[in-house]
Amino acid sequence: MMAGERSPASCYLDERTFRLCCRLFLQHSETIQDGWSWEQIKGTDEGFMKKTVLLPVKSSVLHKQHGCFMQAENMDLLTDDIQANVEDETAGVQAVCEIHAVLRYEYHVLYSCSYQIPVLYFRASTLDGNPLSLEEVWSNVHPNYRQRLQQGPWDTLTQQEHPLLGQPFFMLHPCRTEEFMKPALDLAQAENKRVNYIVSWLSVVGPVVGLDVPLSYCTEVSAPD
Amino acid sequence: MTELDSANRSWTLISAETETWRLASDGKKCVKNQTSVLMAAESTAAPKLQFSPFFSALEAGFWHQLTQKKLNDYHLDESPKNIKGYYYNGDPDGLPTRLTLEFSAFDADGPTPARCCPAPGTLYNTNTLEAFKTTDKKALLDKAADEIWSAIQSGAALDDSSILNKFILLTFADLKKYHFYYWFCFPALCFLEGVQLVQEPRSLEKSFSDTQISSLTAAYDSLCSSSGTTALPHFLMKYTDDSVEVAPLKDLNAFFPDLKKIAVCVYDPCTLPQHPGWPLRNLLFLIAKTWGSQLDVLEVLCFRDRTLQGSRSVRHSIIFRVKLPDLSVSAVCPKSVGWEKNPKGAMGPRSVNLSECMDPKRLAESSVDLNLKLMRWRLVPSLDLDKVVSTKCLLLGAGTLGCNVARTLMGWGVRHITFVDNAKISYSNPVRQPLYEFEDCLSGGKAKALAAVDRLQKIFPGVNAEGHNMSIPMPGHPVSFSESTTAQARHDVEQLEKLISEHDVVFLLMDTRESRWLPTVIAASQRKLIVNAALGFDTFVVMRHGLKKAKEPQSEESSPMSASSSSSCSSTPASTVTPGASLFSNIPGHRLGCYFCNDVVAPGDSTRDRTLDQQCTVSRPGLAMIAGALAVELMVSVLQHPEGGYAVASSSDDRMNEPPTSLGLVPHQIRGFLARFDNVLPASLAFDKCTACSQVVLENYEREGFQFLAKVFNSSHSFLEDLTGLTLLHQETQAAEIWDMSDDDSI
Repeated sequence: MMAGERSPASCYLDERTFRLCCRLFLQHSETIQDGWSWEQIKGTDEGFMKKTVLLPVKSSVLHKQHGCFMQAENMDLLTDDIQANVEDETAGVQAVCEIHAVLRYEYHVLYSCSYQIPVLYFRASTLDGNPLSLEEVWSNVHPNYRQRLQQGPWDTLTQQEHPLLGQPFFMLHPCRTEEFMKPALDLAQAENKRVNYIVSWLSVVGPVVGLDVPLSYCTEVSAPD
Repeated sequence: MTELDSANRSWTLISAETETWRLASDGKKCVKNQTSVLMAAESTAAPKLQFSPFFSALEAGFWHQLTQKKLNDYHLDESPKNIKGYYYNGDPDGLPTRLTLEFSAFDADGPTPARCCPAPGTLYNTNTLEAFKTTDKKALLDKAADEIWSAIQSGAALDDSSILNKFILLTFADLKKYHFYYWFCFPALCFLEGVQLVQEPRSLEKSFSDTQISSLTAAYDSLCSSSGTTALPHFLMKYTDDSVEVAPLKDLNAFFPDLKKIAVCVYDPCTLPQHPGWPLRNLLFLIAKTWGSQLDVLEVLCFRDRTLQGSRSVRHSIIFRVKLPDLSVSAVCPKSVGWEKNPKGAMGPRSVNLSECMDPKRLAESSVDLNLKLMRWRLVPSLDLDKVVSTKCLLLGAGTLGCNVARTLMGWGVRHITFVDNAKISYSNPVRQPLYEFEDCLSGGKAKALAAVDRLQKIFPGVNAEGHNMSIPMPGHPVSFSESTTAQARHDVEQLEKLISEHDVVFLLMDTRESRWLPTVIAASQRKLIVNAALGFDTFVVMRHGLKKAKEPQSEESSPMSASSSSSCSSTPASTVTPGASLFSNIPGHRLGCYFCNDVVAPGDSTRDRTLDQQCTVSRPGLAMIAGALAVELMVSVLQHPEGGYAVASSSDDRMNEPPTSLGLVPHQIRGFLARFDNVLPASLAFDKCTACSQVVLENYEREGFQFLAKVFNSSHSFLEDLTGLTLLHQETQAAEIWDMSDDDSI
């Protein structure tokens, strides 16, 4: 997608507008408290919008290769070695014990200077920080969306280094954003409505990777002036 | 007994799933039995307060950041470091009570996420696993407990109560394997006799009126904003029937003129309806130590504040009353607990293996795999990638064709690639052979087969590549000069037989015709698929050799094949070809020809009679890339066909038809003409007098082995021609030509 192909009814967003859209988005998130925040990279003026979602799952989902049971034998040895050092405090703990299997999804919204649009990065992990493979992520995406993800502009899922954190993330490649943003923006223009780019965009791309965007964003969040 | 009781009572809360899990962990069966006995005994005892311990929750980013810190900052420094975690009281039901550490955990003075409470921590990162093991855990816990105790005694904890939530993290980062060992400790001071419940926990909505609840929410919010924060770990509360007031912890004496009955509130990360989370423990201790003597009953509000779908509620907070032991006179630090259990429920460390997302080699592998999977997901859903990726490829020749074939195979994710070549890299090679560089040519040049392997591993460490610097004996190139040359040839043949048997697909990528003969014979005998690529100046052929039918059933299949293929050369086999179709359409894989099937002369020394410029294979530079890539793509298409090498050959005529595989056609040959920028897809039958794949050659090879092969190497081409009947064919043809000519003359 070359700069020369840019259409006048622009699907592009300059970074300032991106920030303004995010700010309005975050203001609404603050009122409904659905967990979005702005993460500033320390010592720079760069940042991104972030949300973490926790999802309790059947622990069998995690037993295959993930989570805590890796190299169980080694850990048993290690535990035996160590246990002598720490008394088994169960007796004194006065604690309730629960077993939890929880998946953590992290969603990051970044601005891409080269594409001049927002990009959705995400990753999923167990509570110890062990990342899930893309298949495992998908197995938790709603089947309706799973099918959609394999068609149309959704097939652009790929693995990339997070440009600000330098860690591997999955991302929805921005190269086909125009395909679904243009009709939405054209329609808004025709109806003389001003829409917040981030809201429109995220409500389309979010659900396919398990991220819900409440309807109130569409009604409550305005476009920047 | 009391302590044991309360601990065991806790097991009653474990779900059925947990029971199985506990049984699975070694030697725990007896514990379970014991539990049920004790549970029965417990039911009559006075109720004691139980707490839900913290679960450590680590973001992947935390491990990345720890790695960065260790590499760039800490190096071998094992001294304790200040870190920061946080916890949240707004979880929906079903989530564990967590202490979360993010990548920002190392920025101890940095901001805390909105409406979360910070917890100060100390990181002990050891340099060795041994140090991790031998670190005195009890001493670490005692030290932290002592700090908390001192802060309580001195009153410092009243001013800054965050000390009550102090935690310890002991880690060892094995950065060679990207394995991380860790053990959290959430120190809690213990009341020896436990805490007696005077009134069982109830939800706030059952204890407070709507007016009281909204008054509490408003009071809390206003205290938050006047404190310049979005979450208060501890605060005080007093209430009447229609209003609620709150105050900071330190205002206790002023807020409650009469200490007989006070209500203390804790920001509670737990979601259980009957139990407070861990942070309450040290707060109770603070209260007991500071005001214990004056308190009669303490009311505790575990403040839970969540917003679901935009609507906020604190109604599920829990409230209860306890009687605290009087600690005001005790001066020694009490017993403390807090090391986290591992996932098996035992006192022990946890570990996490992050090589998948941190080891650059693994990242390369998963990215390559993912890219291929995306091709499948996006474009060719029925693509069977495993078939391709798991194919073991033997590349005979590591020159222009070999290099390009190898690179294309890597692109397809093929992991197992073996090179055979006997040449060294010369100065002219690197510009055309993309696996070599100028440096490889120096001091005589490296062996191609070995240098190619090195380069593949540099390009992609996940490749399983192997190189064999060896020659392939050829017909018409005698090996009988001495015993040692014969022995060498015997060894080379055995090695080649072994290599072919260990691989799934054999690529013929050499620069002479006759060097392709031996692998053609061996692979035909072993029923291995051959993909052959050969270059002219601006023309090329890429083909799959016909794959003979499996040997076992000697009965019907093998004999009609040879019969029909012999007849096909002399007359049209009407029975096997549909009317209207040409002779060369719909040839099944087992009847397709090999590279030598179209020849009417046996392979011999093709370089002997040539001038120097003819010996060097000169071709247009793009040709090897085109042909090499096509060779791999042909292999992949064949592999996608359900019948593999037995697939009916597609021809140019099939270009408009429904393709037989998800990737399209499966031709027998691709012949390319660069001058015209054109490819055609011919198919041809196996020739019953073929000097390589005919039955008589294979039978002789299978019966006599090296003896037969040696005869071929050592003799002139007439040996194979006599054997296969080509000589006779020549004579007949010549006779026919003579008759034709005499006919012409007669006219």
